[in-house]
Amino acid sequence: MAEPAVTQDEKKEEEEQKVVDEGIEVGISRLTEARIEQVINQVLNTETGARLKTYVNTCIHCGLCSEACHYYMSHDKDPKWSPVGKVKQTLWEMIRKKGRVSPDFMRRAVEIAQTECNLCRRCLQFCPFGIDIAYLISMVRRICHKLGITPLYIQDTAHSHSVTMNQMWVKGDEWPDTLQWQEEEARGEFPTLRIPLEKEGADIMYSVIAPEPKFQAQLIYQAAAIMEVAGVDWTMPADMGWDNSDMAMFTGDNEIMGRVKRTHFELAARLRVKRIVMGECGHAFRSVYDTGNRWLGWSHPPIPIVHAIDFYWELLKDNRIPIKEKYPEPVTLHDPCNVIRGGGLMEKARYVAHALCETVVEMHPNREYNYCCCAGGGVINCGPPYKLKRVKSNRVKAEQLMDAKARGAKVIISPCHNCHSGLKDIKNYYDLHMDIKFFGDIIYQIMEKPE
Amino acid sequence: MKKGMTIIACAFFLLPFMLLSVHSQEDMESVDRSVFDNPQRPAAVFKHEAHNETAGIEECNECHHVYEDGKLVEDESSEDQRCADCHGPEDQGNQPSLVKAFHVNCKGCHKKQKKGPIMCGECHVR
Amino acid sequence: MHDLYQFVSGPLAWVAFILFVGGSLYRMIAMLVEVKKKEPFIFTYMSLKYSLRSIVHWMTPFATYNWRRKPVLTVVTFAFHICLFVSPIFLLAHVTLWDESWDISWWTLPDGVADVMTLIVIAGCVFFLLRRLTQPEVQFVTFPSDYFILAIVAAPFVTGFLAYHQWFGYPMVMVLHVLAGEVMLVAIPFTRLSHMIYSPFTRAYMGSEFGVIRKSKDF
Repeated sequence: MAEPAVTQDEKKEEEEQKVVDEGIEVGISRLTEARIEQVINQVLNTETGARLKTYVNTCIHCGLCSEACHYYMSHDKDPKWSPVGKVKQTLWEMIRKKGRVSPDFMRRAVEIAQTECNLCRRCLQFCPFGIDIAYLISMVRRICHKLGITPLYIQDTAHSHSVTMNQMWVKGDEWPDTLQWQEEEARGEFPTLRIPLEKEGADIMYSVIAPEPKFQAQLIYQAAAIMEVAGVDWTMPADMGWDNSDMAMFTGDNEIMGRVKRTHFELAARLRVKRIVMGECGHAFRSVYDTGNRWLGWSHPPIPIVHAIDFYWELLKDNRIPIKEKYPEPVTLHDPCNVIRGGGLMEKARYVAHALCETVVEMHPNREYNYCCCAGGGVINCGPPYKLKRVKSNRVKAEQLMDAKARGAKVIISPCHNCHSGLKDIKNYYDLHMDIKFFGDIIYQIMEKPE
Repeated sequence: MKKGMTIIACAFFLLPFMLLSVHSQEDMESVDRSVFDNPQRPAAVFKHEAHNETAGIEECNECHHVYEDGKLVEDESSEDQRCADCHGPEDQGNQPSLVKAFHVNCKGCHKKQKKGPIMCGECHVR
Repeated sequence: MHDLYQFVSGPLAWVAFILFVGGSLYRMIAMLVEVKKKEPFIFTYMSLKYSLRSIVHWMTPFATYNWRRKPVLTVVTFAFHICLFVSPIFLLAHVTLWDESWDISWWTLPDGVADVMTLIVIAGCVFFLLRRLTQPEVQFVTFPSDYFILAIVAAPFVTGFLAYHQWFGYPMVMVLHVLAGEVMLVAIPFTRLSHMIYSPFTRAYMGSEFGVIRKSKDF
């Protein structure tokens, strides 16, 4: 999985090439101005209401949100990367021209909305009026989705959601096969271990994102090991809906988002579990806890959603995971936007980190003020064409990590898949030489296992 | 209350000058603001003789009115009194405060006649 | 001038106040009605506690992360907004007019203090203007209308200051002052000065979302 570090020379040679995204280009080639106008006005007039209008009318153009944004900070404070700058280049213009914008304008708009904003909502904390800039950018994504100009890679995952109810085209039999394979592997180490499939009435349904069975199956192994050692009454579903991830949420495809979430909740209801515990993923938490459930009309998740951080906190607090010795290397904790700023798990994450590790070095800023990883919000899912932009757009994160490293941190704990991948790209690009781990990796490593 | 006491004390102290002033209106250039504790604006410009000549005012009680039980008493005038003798620093029932009495008396007439100053700075000239 | 002043301070003042109060109420009610119609879920999440938590933090200097990060701006914007509200409402000359017309009066500022506050408002406008002209992130999102609303706000205070000191042709400046004040009042509900009306609502909603759902701080 590790990619080679880029040397300084290679970096110089890298040129910012014009990204050609087939998903966007083909979509744009099909657009007419009339179609654009019709879609923009349909979304702005019928799908949005007082909220969007009030946000746009209240914004006093003060620019105070700018420094919240890692894109802006990483591009030497170039205002075209500021949150309000991005709204100006997209939504304001659409409103001002009453939807009469060109296909070229829409090419730039989709690029901004899908690849230059992570919807991390840090700017929401900076705006004196509490304007939901992430919502405004989401509406631009919605317009782009309806115009069919979403970037290719993320559109593909949305298609996958639509067809398979998971993000990675994992086929029906591949899923239980993978679980059984991991169960078998793990029984070598934990002879009594089971991954209970479809156990009705279990306390917990454990759900993951599709990249886990696809290419990080060891995470399922680790989760099963933790459940085994802690003696948890749990189950995993064998049927569609096991994937809690949701890229449709990030392409503005609310209809598919709704289908995916409904399937997920209905699955948990069919298994009559008390709670859904999810792996260390941020966007999935946002989707089941905040966005998707509400789109379906549930003011709160119909079945309690417990993020891995919360779950580990519970287990550690109750001494249900026997620890051999604490993780010796100094760690620093990355606060993922969706579970910290979006879920308030900052103190629990610290409890877990301190319970597991000898030394925890805080990043600055931290907790809900932490800088984004620049991978979330569907940006990393827009794929390789945008990777260079993504890492260059988060120099400020590299600086933040460098500072934590200077104060002794050797390992980054990132309890979120997107952050994990994004930080890995950043550490490679900026030669940070730090390890990145999930809480699960560390728990698995230091817990007492049968001889 | 303290304010009131001060004004009364001032009034006693100023009594001789007040009496004197009744007889010196020919020389009057501005409204005496010494009765005010802490005047915020320059004294209102008021040239008594010139004003009455321009305005064609013959009767003293056009301005120096007398009210009894809230009713204007015709044919009586109060030019032998200080305005402050009746009008205190605050409104009292229907009787306006001294400031308001000046404003309403002057401005009210000016508005009616559509002549004369009606903006703050036209009287309170710096 | 007599008639002109009578007109701007009489019928026109009525028009201005009616448009200001009526317009503000209209904008507020129209917003709430539309929320009720199209996004009623917003009401589901409104929480008095978290609304107030958010509003109080943002209305206290240095009580939020961003205010602490921008000390100069914070001092200027608070001084500006406080003076903007306090000086006209508690100005002796204004209260005198209320008193003469409606027999209502309230505590007033000494003229010297009001004079300084007026200068603070004007200085604040200059600061915001310079910010718009020199800070790239502000410049980038500045439209002609932003200068226009800044001018609308500055005008009553500049003319008020000149009128108080009776510089540059008193009666005309006074008439301009009244007009400028009326223009500002009318502009509040119908321009982005409407942040005065809307911001408590946007703040309250964001505070509620962050308090009820996200369990973290929006300040």
